[in-house]
Amino acid sequence: MKDSIPLAPLQKMAWFNLVVFVAVIALYLIAVPLLAWGSHRTLPAAAEPALGLFGFFGLWGFGSRFFYDRKRRAKVQLDEREQLINQHAAAVGLAAFWLVFVALCLGAWAVLTYVLHQTSLPVGVLPFLVVAGLVVNTVFQSLAILAEYQRSCNDGTL
Amino acid sequence: MALSDTAQLKNRIRRLRFEHGEMTQQELADRVGAARQTIIALEAGKYAPSLMLAFRLAAAFGVKTEDVFQWDANGDSLSR
Repeated sequence: MKDSIPLAPLQKMAWFNLVVFVAVIALYLIAVPLLAWGSHRTLPAAAEPALGLFGFFGLWGFGSRFFYDRKRRAKVQLDEREQLINQHAAAVGLAAFWLVFVALCLGAWAVLTYVLHQTSLPVGVLPFLVVAGLVVNTVFQSLAILAEYQRSCNDGTL
Repeated sequence: MALSDTAQLKNRIRRLRFEHGEMTQQELADRVGAARQTIIALEAGKYAPSLMLAFRLAAAFGVKTEDVFQWDANGDSLSR
């Protein structure tokens, strides 16, 4: 007999993070042409202020609510396997963060030096690099969590 | 690594559940303090539990640990 398996708190958090990510990227892609059209700017000129929508990534902070059981009024305890999955996913996220962060840093340096011929880094670039790295970290961590659960939970026979 | 090195570890959890009044995975999970997904992964041979969880599982069925888990020494690349 097959039945549906309720999502674990880690899975819920991972799906929530991915939904927020997709929603923010979709909002951004919609906002750029709207902003360009509304304020009579070019698309590249509108792309920068539209980055303010990245503030919605702060919604990820609500992911922690999946670790609180309102019925029992207690924190949800992860079992040993879930803790291992979380550790693996965190390692994947951290590796992705460093790869992207270093690549972006080198990319920014290369563009500034060889394309724009500037010797100083605009102050807005550094926070953007960190935010981009953290977004990549969270997205890869969430994907790794879902992949680990999918790999070991594909048999829901009672 | 407990999430992947499971090829040599066999278990009889599914059979023991049915021998114990067709206990559901959720009931077993509640008894041993684990998630249902963990029981599913164990039964599918995709997760090797800690010693503590192995003892808890055996206690839930009222049997010895070796009656739940069997190690296949022939399949272990490190065995001589």
